[in-house]
Amino acid sequence: MSKPVVGIFGLTGCAGDQLVILNCEDRLLDLVALIDVRDFLMASSQNDAACALDLALVEGAVLSRKDAEKLLAIRQRTKLLVALGTCAVWGGVAAMDRGADRRNLLAEVYGDTGQDYDSEPARALHEIVKVDLNITGCPIEKEHFLAAIANLLNGDVPVYPAYPVCTECRMLENNCLLIERGELCCGPITAAGCTARCPNLRIPCVGCRGPASDANPASLLSALEEKGIDPRGIAARLRTFAPEGVAQ
Amino acid sequence: MRTIVVEHLARVEGHGGITVELDGNTVGNVHFDVVEGARLLEPLVRGKRFDEVAPILSRICSICSAAHTLTSLKATENAFGVRISPQTELLRELMYRGESIESHALHLFLLALPDYLDYPSATALAADQPQAVLLGLRLKKLGNLIQETIGGRAIHPVNAVLGGFGKVPSVEHLIELRGALIEGMKDSDTMVDLTASLPAANFCHCDTAYAALFSPNGDSYYSGDQVMVAAKGDLSLIRAADYQTLTNEKAVPHSHAKHSSFHERPFMVGSLARLTINPRRLTGRLAATMERLQLQLPSNNPMDNNKAQALELIRDVERALEIVEQLLRDGVKDERPVGIQPRAATGTAITEAPRGLLIHSYTYDADGRITAADVITPTALNAADMEARFRRAVEECPEREDTVIAKRLQMIARAYDPCISCSVHLVRRR
Repeated sequence: MSKPVVGIFGLTGCAGDQLVILNCEDRLLDLVALIDVRDFLMASSQNDAACALDLALVEGAVLSRKDAEKLLAIRQRTKLLVALGTCAVWGGVAAMDRGADRRNLLAEVYGDTGQDYDSEPARALHEIVKVDLNITGCPIEKEHFLAAIANLLNGDVPVYPAYPVCTECRMLENNCLLIERGELCCGPITAAGCTARCPNLRIPCVGCRGPASDANPASLLSALEEKGIDPRGIAARLRTFAPEGVAQ
Repeated sequence: MRTIVVEHLARVEGHGGITVELDGNTVGNVHFDVVEGARLLEPLVRGKRFDEVAPILSRICSICSAAHTLTSLKATENAFGVRISPQTELLRELMYRGESIESHALHLFLLALPDYLDYPSATALAADQPQAVLLGLRLKKLGNLIQETIGGRAIHPVNAVLGGFGKVPSVEHLIELRGALIEGMKDSDTMVDLTASLPAANFCHCDTAYAALFSPNGDSYYSGDQVMVAAKGDLSLIRAADYQTLTNEKAVPHSHAKHSSFHERPFMVGSLARLTINPRRLTGRLAATMERLQLQLPSNNPMDNNKAQALELIRDVERALEIVEQLLRDGVKDERPVGIQPRAATGTAITEAPRGLLIHSYTYDADGRITAADVITPTALNAADMEARFRRAVEECPEREDTVIAKRLQMIARAYDPCISCSVHLVRRR
């Protein structure tokens, strides 16, 4: 069987999900033996920017006309498109205040020069093209990426947790930061898969993986309000990594 | 009239390009084009509470996420007058060294090395020289192991918080780190041999100014709060609070990175600048390594930044091992983060990210909500200097064919180890 042809792309973001791929130090050479990576600008200066792809891995959010065109072109040439990381899946930190006036923000940072920049409010990939698989996380977990490749090579699709971070945290028998210490922890509504990394270090979850599909935000809100935490602060915090209106 | 265009700069972090115009042998416009989208995080972070700032601004960049996190924490702590414990200082330095090891190994082996040996990528190189690539991957993994152990995650660390750490590392984890670092000492020595064996890259010569953190002990990324600029033997010291005299930024139409100059001159930041500004650290084993690398300071060749990174990599592994041994000897106390009392104030922190000076400056209101944030990144500081060096490289060989010139320009760009996501920055215009 010929090796699947793969492209790895970054739109606007921090390149952290591509870096997770390069951080698979023990597996990197095995990986390139199993898949044919033809287009990966961050790692190679010889890329085929037009070939048909079996799999496209795309990180980052869409923040410009150029990003949107690039994404549409990738969708046209690939059989499967995977959104890699919270920015691609949910919009990420750049989308936290999508209602803000872009021109004012640009003027504030760049002055008059900024008015000509190609710049749009952040959008997740699925708001523009069909996405076949989401791997969330800021950044993604290395194991989730490797599992995706292994599954796809075997004609299967990986399954990631639908339950919230709390489930993982309770299994580690941690004391609850929210109930016992009254801290604003986003664990009850954030997608698991990180083995409750932050609460396991006694640090409240900031929601960097985006919402869990199996979550109950209303119950989190009432639990927090009972603890006397300002609801406006809670709403702002829940919007940091995944803005409202991006639900899939 | 000829135009040499590198549309997509490969093997760097982020999206950028290079454009050079030539009229006969005369070089016209030279642009380092930053085309990465503008995320405008700085105005977006406004109004956030003090403890939310570092996790958001860490997302400016993945490769320097520990540097952004730790610089952000230091700026906020400076604003609120928070004093952290000596143990926290030491653990943060260890995190910084870990990031530097990972970043330098990534850059030297996966991004820069293929140029010298004429391969498109490290994975292509691995088909013929697997040992070289595996060596780089082992060093890179060592840096990540440190970051995971101390910072809780290799990218966007979570364990470093205002006033200290969520949890301090266990003795078992430190013993594991010590073992890995002892192996790393051997690997970093082999790395120097490999770097010294590479073909010379001599195609761009011009003096420039250098700027780096003036480090009290001659060897630090995280302590000290003065920047020294060395320009043709003239030395200037700038305090953190006066950083704007250094940055003096200007927005330009072709780039989302603002350009910086000092006394109207571009300057270089990064490994080569650090060694030039703090030569006192270069004794013993490091002096011998400099000879092996045939590195002489001050250098007028930007490609020497790669050799300077190799030298720092040696020192980072050695220093990380010293820190781990000290922690094991003295024992790690289960300290909780120092309590934070917000107040209306401004705080600025300057540190050395792997690719050069990084500045975060914040203003808070009395409730501890951020009202202004200014982030100046090394790639933005280097942008004007990169353009000056591109110009010089073309002036040295305008008659050569476009492909040769384009390759040289890309090699120079990579030598600066640019982090383009970082450079698209997010600064309030004052």
